[in-house]
Amino acid sequence: MRFGLKEWTEGYVTITVRGKRFERFLNMAVREGLRVWNIRRVAAETCRCDILIADYFRLRPFLRETGCRSHVEQREGLPFWLVRLRRRSGLAIGAVLFLVGLYMLSSFVWTVEVTGTKQMSPQKVLNAAEEIGIKEGAWKVKLKEPLVLRKELMSLLPEASWIGVTIQGTKVTLNVVEKDDPVKPIVLGPRHLVAKKRAVIHTILPESGRSQVKVNQFVEKGQVLISGIIGSDQRQQVVAARGTIKGEVWYRSDASVPLKQTQFRLTGEQLEQQYLVVGPYAVQLWPWNKQSFAQYESEESRFMPSYAGYTSPIGWKQITQTEVVQNEVELSVEDAIAYAKRFTREDILRKAGKDAVIQEEKVLHARTENGKVYVSIHFSVIEDIAVEQPIAGFPQSPALDSNP
Amino acid sequence: MRRWSRRLRHLAGGVLDLPQDVVLEVPRITMIGHLQMYIENHRGVLHFSEKELRLLLTNGQLIVSGEQLVIRAILPEEVLLEGRIGGVKFV
Repeated sequence: MRFGLKEWTEGYVTITVRGKRFERFLNMAVREGLRVWNIRRVAAETCRCDILIADYFRLRPFLRETGCRSHVEQREGLPFWLVRLRRRSGLAIGAVLFLVGLYMLSSFVWTVEVTGTKQMSPQKVLNAAEEIGIKEGAWKVKLKEPLVLRKELMSLLPEASWIGVTIQGTKVTLNVVEKDDPVKPIVLGPRHLVAKKRAVIHTILPESGRSQVKVNQFVEKGQVLISGIIGSDQRQQVVAARGTIKGEVWYRSDASVPLKQTQFRLTGEQLEQQYLVVGPYAVQLWPWNKQSFAQYESEESRFMPSYAGYTSPIGWKQITQTEVVQNEVELSVEDAIAYAKRFTREDILRKAGKDAVIQEEKVLHARTENGKVYVSIHFSVIEDIAVEQPIAGFPQSPALDSNP
Repeated sequence: MRRWSRRLRHLAGGVLDLPQDVVLEVPRITMIGHLQMYIENHRGVLHFSEKELRLLLTNGQLIVSGEQLVIRAILPEEVLLEGRIGGVKFV
């Protein structure tokens, strides 16, 4: 029966009608087809009702006939809004300009993003994209369909096997999928594999070249293990020798361990001190009394507010002191030897390389002197002993010249 | 003549099984609790105040009593009344 939106767009007024014959006035108005709503009696001879603006101007004859008087109380709806808006035209113009500006700015390309490039430089893709019109500041309306753009871009960039062009708002994303080139083998020059250290051969696995040594053979440093020269005496060729040679290497290491050891142990007790930092000064704020442990480790953390490269001179500092207790420990000789073994083992493995395995360890002798244990330990370690040695001055075969 | 037409209407209502308000000129009143009241087939407002609405009908009057009565909408033959409706009375 009532349409709120329609009434609002046409505009309506709230009027009060004063007069003894209001009911008659109402009947006449309704019969004439005027739209009246929200009728309520305010006082004995006064009623309030809402009425459309257009109908308000048709009220006059009924008012005169019934001897009533009307008074407009409130104006509502779109027409009155427009009147108010005209008074503040700047606001309206601003709102419209804002919407127009927003629409215009959103019809440009503002960022071009390249994803998925590995070998190719993104700049190259961007340059190619600029040639077909995809660049920052381009008008989106003038760009072609993404499918057409994709085809053109792919013809410009033959290195890519596929290029996806997606326009999302003001951002263009170029998703490049590159062709995978076959992996090029690393070309090795002719070389021997020689021994790095004095060792006894443990395993030998030649992949290319001719092995010159046997398992359990003793080799000196610099001795050729796998030769890069193959073939018979009449017909020789040089190759890059490859293979794995592991040898047993002997190490002897001496260590001294004091029997009396001082150990530091954390008790878990902690104290926190809060400081206010002003420039180079720090003022202790909490706790008030200065207390600390007999021995402690302290850790400091600072909070200085900073923004855009500027650091505030005022900040906060927190010092955490952790209590430390010192213990004197008397080691037995066996413990001291075990201790020495552990350390020398780590040291040997560091020297021998990462694949090294300790095969055997033997304490040669241990003696106690002046409160210290002197130990010398023998290690036999299995490690990679091969090292490359390029072959120079060998007459190259014609086959190698043509295919370096 | 009027008596004839009324008898004819009664007869038609009985035979064709039509609703009474269509055949006879009586109001059709729909109420939603005591909050809202929808009256069709009235013949004009006789009196309206916060406590009472008196409507003219073809035969007699309808008196709706209540509190804080408001006519939400009014058309030549329909009234939508809101408020705390206390009673409905035919006079």
